[in-house]
Amino acid sequence: MWEVASIASRESFNIVIAGVGGQGVLTLSRIIGEASLAGGLNVLVAETHGLSQRGGSVVVHVRIGDVDSPLVPLGEADLMIGLELLEVLRNVSYMRRGGFIVADKLVIPPSIPGVTVPSVDSVIEALRGLDVELILTPASEVAEKLGDVRVANVYLLGRALSKTRLGAIISFDSVARVLRGLPNPELNLKAFELGYTGGGFEG
Amino acid sequence: MGYPEVLAEPGSRVLMLGNVAVARACLEYGVGLASGYPGTPSSEVVEALAYAASKLGYPYVEWSVNEKVAFEVAYGAAISGVPSVVSMKHVGLNVAADPFFSSAYTGVEAPLLVISADDPGMWSSQNEQDNRWYGVHAYIPVVEPAGAQEAREATLEALRLSGVVKHPVLLRLVTRVSHTRAPVTVGALGRPRLRGVFKSNPLRWNLIPAHARRLREELIERWRRIEDLVSRSELNVAEGPRDSQILVVGVGIGYRYAREALRRLKVHVRLVKVTTPIPLPSKFILGEVEGRNAIIVVEEGDPVFETMLKALLQEASLNTRVYGKRSGHLRPTGELRLEDVKRAIAQVLGLGYRGPELLEATVKPPPRPPVLCPGCPYRSVFYAVRRAVKKLGLDVVYSGDIGCYSLTVNKPFNAQDTLIEMGGSVGLANGMSHVLGDKVVIATIGDSTFYHAGVPGLINAVYNKAPMMVLVLDNGVTAMTGHQPHPGSGFNAVGGEARRIPVEDVARGVGVDSVYVAEAFNPRDVEAKALSALRDVGEGKVSVVVARGPCILVAVGRARAESIPRPSYAVDPSRCKGCMVCYKAFNCPAITPSGDGKVTINGALCTGCGVCERVCPFNAIKPASYVDKRWWKLLGLTESSVGGG
Repeated sequence: MWEVASIASRESFNIVIAGVGGQGVLTLSRIIGEASLAGGLNVLVAETHGLSQRGGSVVVHVRIGDVDSPLVPLGEADLMIGLELLEVLRNVSYMRRGGFIVADKLVIPPSIPGVTVPSVDSVIEALRGLDVELILTPASEVAEKLGDVRVANVYLLGRALSKTRLGAIISFDSVARVLRGLPNPELNLKAFELGYTGGGFEG
Repeated sequence: MGYPEVLAEPGSRVLMLGNVAVARACLEYGVGLASGYPGTPSSEVVEALAYAASKLGYPYVEWSVNEKVAFEVAYGAAISGVPSVVSMKHVGLNVAADPFFSSAYTGVEAPLLVISADDPGMWSSQNEQDNRWYGVHAYIPVVEPAGAQEAREATLEALRLSGVVKHPVLLRLVTRVSHTRAPVTVGALGRPRLRGVFKSNPLRWNLIPAHARRLREELIERWRRIEDLVSRSELNVAEGPRDSQILVVGVGIGYRYAREALRRLKVHVRLVKVTTPIPLPSKFILGEVEGRNAIIVVEEGDPVFETMLKALLQEASLNTRVYGKRSGHLRPTGELRLEDVKRAIAQVLGLGYRGPELLEATVKPPPRPPVLCPGCPYRSVFYAVRRAVKKLGLDVVYSGDIGCYSLTVNKPFNAQDTLIEMGGSVGLANGMSHVLGDKVVIATIGDSTFYHAGVPGLINAVYNKAPMMVLVLDNGVTAMTGHQPHPGSGFNAVGGEARRIPVEDVARGVGVDSVYVAEAFNPRDVEAKALSALRDVGEGKVSVVVARGPCILVAVGRARAESIPRPSYAVDPSRCKGCMVCYKAFNCPAITPSGDGKVTINGALCTGCGVCERVCPFNAIKPASYVDKRWWKLLGLTESSVGGG
């Protein structure tokens, strides 16, 4: 039916992308979707819209390869890209044991007056206690230095591509081609490259 | 918003939402008219068609005032010979139900496709009704695609079927079909039929009882013919071993879950994909049922197919066991999940199945409900109205409605005591007003919702003397679903100019004597007008307050497009007394406690709306940059309202 280039014909790769409405979760999922399709792979991107989007939790499921149903089953995500740590915490039940979490070292407190928010350190400690490979990176910090906090999403994608099996499934070049078609391509490409090389930490 | 993929090159394979695939198929068929009312998860069908129309010059596309009118628009065109589609969310069909039922009696001249996007799991809805029942109830066939590519094919097939039998067809989508992006191979665009002819025939188009009785007989006959046609539809297919003891039936998206579950379980049984569940494709199903010991039905929503299948088996004197939601093997609520379908199939087959042990973190995240955006005009309005209520010492009920302002159900606003359905705020307020004695009823309703179903309730309140304050939150667009225009916007679905019908004119026109228009971004103005309006209610009047100010997302976009700089705001820590009015009562997400008992403003979230400056009792919040007067104008503020603030 479709040409399968970099993933075995009976294999699939499940990604959960978690964040807060407005952080660019949908855009990131679409970039991965387009890059997968460009590589001749089947892909399903299940989005969150409407009421569920206004500053609330957002989670998008991306399934690549030999898949039919749009949602990642609980316990079967190979990779979670987390744009915010409380949202990572909220979605850990999707993770496969030994799977990868690539996340920004960022906690955005929910906008509820008087809400108790766990500290960044306690969240990280809780995540370290899980049977997953945790890759933390100051994505939004780097993005802010680049001039737009919204490119933290592609920075994380770069990190995920260089550190996990996702890099063997979609190529650096296919992502770069998608980014060139976005508004502000230079900034997006720069953030993606920095994420890929792990640069931008200093200064 | 742009949908360039809806105009993709014929033969190309592109990533698109199920909704956009439906729109594409409409263009391929040559639909001449499309209408709808926005609602998640349906909105992108009409949006994508409007995008196409803005590029191609056709078809005719409109956002109608509500689903009933939208239905009638498409219906009127279809009985005049123009292939038409109407799109809405599942609960929208309740609003359109009256003409929907009648359309089965009259039939149509050209195809009429009714698109209903159901929301199992209630991601953005008040219920999870399964609209396939409407097909059963109204004698209108239902086509239900399994995914984005199938949505294209099912739309084309549904339009063809509607054209062949001259009968409306319902396309049932669900959230995960509508809002899953998947590769779709597209065909060539068709030649649209844009002009029609109306052939006068009262015997058919006029449903007086004498005509309707005869049409009812014809309808039942036509229904049998439709049943025969769908039994032969190529969209219902079977795969897997013919001699299988077990038959799995996947209906719509249920097929996708069933197919993957069987593959993951490594079970080889007969699998049927049903795309036309209503009427039951009886001959096709009976052909597949023969010789099986058990049938497992996987469908999203109610056990509609499962129930009808059981009736069919009874009629055929078969006692094959049927498993699904009625048998308790699948959950009757929420969306399907692959793990649930795997477990159900394994259970029926007597296989051992254990899902993975799920990871659980020791720290639980606090909830993160959706909130009003930073800079949302509604925050300012509810802050001010609550102050007015407090000043007058009133005991109030907030009769709420559907839109972004629904989010004020949460702390600190607590301003949605009820939320039932579109327009329900004003309707319910009528009844409350007659029976609640000294309590003051405040109906809160958005602009789009006001035009949709608020107006009849308002007329009723004036006519039957039901004192209430109606607070119309007018941000100029249907904001929650993605900024679609409405009769108050001044432009139409394809971006053309349109006559603006202001809410206050409607209110005065229907006899409301107490009408106030306030600047939403000016809480003092809103408070003053709410005080007057509430005093009028005390005198037995119906009072309307229109709080006007653009959706901040639209305003920010316009400022960007017109190169108007937006101010940033900062807290002067020497003046901040830590009273927390801005954080706890006004509750802007951009304002957070700074740790020293004071507050700070997050520059990345701050939109520059400036309301916090007007809210702070100690003048501790000030613009940290130059304020361009054009920005105030964009927010609907006059010079006098911001001067001295």
